[in-house]
Amino acid sequence: MIKLENIEKYYANKGVKSYILRHVSTTINQGEFVSVMGPSGAGKSTLLNILGMLEEPTYGTYEFMGEDVTSLNERKRIELYRNHIGFVFQAYHLIDEMTVAENIEAPLLYKKIGGAERKSRVADMLDRFNIVGKKDLFPNQLSGGQQQLVGIARALAAQPSIILADEPTGNLQSAQALQIMELFKKLNKEEGITIIQVTHSELNATYGSRILHLLDGVIKEDLKV
Amino acid sequence: MLKLNFKIALRNLWRNRTSSIINIGGLAIGLSSCLLLLLYAGYEYGYDKQFRDSGNVYQAMVNAYDESGNVANTHGFTQNVLASALQAELAGLSEVARTTEAYKRLVTYQGNNMKLDNRYADPAFLKVFDYQYISGNPEKALSDPNSIILTESAAKRLFGTADVLNRAVKFENQVDLKVTAVIKNLPANVSYPFETLVPWTIYEQLNNWVARMNWGNHEFFTLLVLNKEVDADQVNLKLKGMVNKYLPNAKEDIFIYPLKRLHLYGDFVNGKSSGGKIKQVQVFVGLAIGILLIACINFMNLATAHSQKRAKEIGIKKTIGATKASLVFQFMLESMILTTISILISIAAVEVSLPWFNHLLDIQITIDYTNPLNWIILGAVLVLTGFAAGSYPAFYLSGFNPVQALKKTLNFKRGYVLNLRQLLVIFQFSFAIVLIASTITIYKQLQFIKDRPLGYQEKALIEITHEGLLYERYDLLKDKLLADGAVVGVTQLSGSLTNRNGTIRDLKWEGMSAADRLIDFDQIYTTYDFIKTTGVTLLAGRDFNKKFASDTAGILLSKKAVAMMGLKNPIGSKIVNQGVVRTVLGVFNDLVWGDRTKFEVPMVITFTDGISEDITMRLNPQKSITESTAAIQRIVHELNPDFPVDIRFLDNLNEEKLKNEVTLAKLSNVFGGLAIFISCLGLFGLSAFSIEQRTKEIGVRKVLGASIGELTTLLSINFLKLVLTAIVIAMPVAYILMDHWLQNFDVKTSLSWWIFLFTGGFTLFIALVTVSWQTYAAARANPVKALKYE
Repeated sequence: MIKLENIEKYYANKGVKSYILRHVSTTINQGEFVSVMGPSGAGKSTLLNILGMLEEPTYGTYEFMGEDVTSLNERKRIELYRNHIGFVFQAYHLIDEMTVAENIEAPLLYKKIGGAERKSRVADMLDRFNIVGKKDLFPNQLSGGQQQLVGIARALAAQPSIILADEPTGNLQSAQALQIMELFKKLNKEEGITIIQVTHSELNATYGSRILHLLDGVIKEDLKV
Repeated sequence: MLKLNFKIALRNLWRNRTSSIINIGGLAIGLSSCLLLLLYAGYEYGYDKQFRDSGNVYQAMVNAYDESGNVANTHGFTQNVLASALQAELAGLSEVARTTEAYKRLVTYQGNNMKLDNRYADPAFLKVFDYQYISGNPEKALSDPNSIILTESAAKRLFGTADVLNRAVKFENQVDLKVTAVIKNLPANVSYPFETLVPWTIYEQLNNWVARMNWGNHEFFTLLVLNKEVDADQVNLKLKGMVNKYLPNAKEDIFIYPLKRLHLYGDFVNGKSSGGKIKQVQVFVGLAIGILLIACINFMNLATAHSQKRAKEIGIKKTIGATKASLVFQFMLESMILTTISILISIAAVEVSLPWFNHLLDIQITIDYTNPLNWIILGAVLVLTGFAAGSYPAFYLSGFNPVQALKKTLNFKRGYVLNLRQLLVIFQFSFAIVLIASTITIYKQLQFIKDRPLGYQEKALIEITHEGLLYERYDLLKDKLLADGAVVGVTQLSGSLTNRNGTIRDLKWEGMSAADRLIDFDQIYTTYDFIKTTGVTLLAGRDFNKKFASDTAGILLSKKAVAMMGLKNPIGSKIVNQGVVRTVLGVFNDLVWGDRTKFEVPMVITFTDGISEDITMRLNPQKSITESTAAIQRIVHELNPDFPVDIRFLDNLNEEKLKNEVTLAKLSNVFGGLAIFISCLGLFGLSAFSIEQRTKEIGVRKVLGASIGELTTLLSINFLKLVLTAIVIAMPVAYILMDHWLQNFDVKTSLSWWIFLFTGGFTLFIALVTVSWQTYAAARANPVKALKYE
């Protein structure tokens, strides 16, 4: 599903290149649950951003579902966001001005899904995450864990084939974190959604099927769990 | 999607109440000003364009030449025979009609006396202007020699109803006329308004001289309609030299000028159109756009200032599939919603302020909600404003990179954006400063003109129209008034002291040069007690006096006249005025006759009985004004019972003269005030935002030991720098503009340095108050709160 070849990312400052990623090559298949680990500054988030096409690599090629997406025009990229990629952020990043239901509905609107279908999908998500009672609340009226549930619900609403999660439990207490990880595992197992998460936590990594260890921009270790 | 965006936009407005209020308030004020001024401009542009043939209506104009053949002046007063001559000379002329100035004439119906604005006109006048008839036949309404046409409101006042066809009225207490038509009230913006219209033949019947063929007397207006295919320039070529065919030594040419242009382009230099009222309209339109623009700037500034807050939302939306176009659309929608709210408020504001505005400009504007054109213009203003205000933030915000926006590492292109915002603030304040400096200058000039000595005592000086039986009973009236003690002086004048209406050239005196023949003297005809009544300062000699029989051939000269004539010993010298040898009895100090902004011209006061339009009187200072005027009312009514008595105070009439300047002063005052208010609103919003952003910095500095004073200065100084820059830019502009404006006046005030010092100081003070309002509060806040923020 994802094929990275010799991905490099560096910033040139006064002639000095500071590397974020070096010679990153790997393949991630449909249905995998990959955890990217490593110390601060190892390039984990940059790798995830490149996978999410939020950043472009300086060098190397990136194939997404058999298509070269190394430098994609905006229209096509947005097409992928609408249909294949769901993002989950550490800071949840819900839209403050929208209610829970509206946040979940937002990607469906951009996907131009009909009103009835939208209603049923949103209702389904609310139901599934047990947040029906909170559907008219605004994000600032929810706890962190609840917000992250909404964030995941939003990512899933568009029925993506892959979820990219940047430290999804980083801001959460351990009980809540556990809940989120169970959820990811279930989504991966039961619905076959590919998940790539960046995490600091060894425990979280054990929920996945594979761990990529990054150090100073280089993949040091590629473990099957 | 639209619904959701709409909902979110409203939630955003509610969440950021302060900036919403600043935005909507500023925009509403700007839009109201703009709409008012546009209504005014529309009113002026609409002059004389309400009629079916408006495009083909022309007015005959006169270029009068001086000795050397240059155009001395251009005016619309034509001879009574011109209409028939034009009909004979010109092919392609479909209609031609004469009319007079509108004068108050006495109309009586069953003892109900009323003075109505009347014009005399040829029957073709109704072909030139297709009025809206409530009753009567436009084909015949003026053809019957004893007919009268009334406007609806005149009919209602006179009869109590508009259904008055074929009723009889008495006109000027002399002839019986039959109502042949009632028309809808005329719009206020026509050049030839009237309340009653009476056939030209009645005019000739009442005044013998009008019927006499005369190429020398310029008194009337001649209006014509050309056939569509006729080219006005060709007509004008044909008209060159036409008058000389009938009057060989005439020094004038006739030309035709489109009536629909006359109101706005009514000034002529060397016989060519050189603008006119259009300049004032353009100034107002410029003002309208300027004020709207500074309101839009507020919007842009606040929107981009808040961009950091919205960066996250943009980032998220992009990752869940929003295109740039959909984001632009969203921000434009927000801007349109805001503009719509503002425009609704401003429509209400315009409705409320319209009576005041009409009163201020002495016009009659109403908003016609049924006119689709008004809605189209309103829609255009809405879209343009919404677009102008929303486009920059929309494209700026929607261009954010999602990763940076979400990581809060967004580089806000600090230098560039801040510079643009600074430029906009500088622009706003420059505009406001120019308006303030202009306002002060206009007021100063106004005061300067008002303070200028008139040369006569205008206080307690009154006049009534000399009319009806008052001509034969003038001496009786004078005796009675003086005996009663209501007045202490009475004289009759050929025209009001406030209104210059007569000049004479070709005076002869001993020692004159050939060129002196062409000096134009202002002239008033009067009889006894001129000086005594008016309070004009006598420098030498004496007033006209009944005791000296020879005074009937007397003349008084102004100081300037004496100087220009070069008379060494003016008293007793002989002057030939229109063939009559007159003796100079006195010399008086120059007086302002008519326009206070013009230099004095030489003037003569000539004794002539019978040419009198006004009876001028000085009230008795020992008695109260109400008592005196009541006595005058009673006495005049006794002697001339058929005419209502209208007592006019000369100081009021003089006040009227300055109306244009007063209007301009009031308008620039109001709109200058609004401009500075809107600019300060924007500054308030920006400083609030800047402080919000710098909360942490303020906390840190406080912990490090900065005092409240130092912090306030630190936070205010950036904004004050902008205002200072604006002052530096605006001052020369204001100076040049006002210097140019003052060129309109002969008598003008100086552009003192204090105007600019005051304007600068005032603006700076207002800006300082606006900014420090918040900076002080921020500087005083507890640093712990500020530091907890992140």
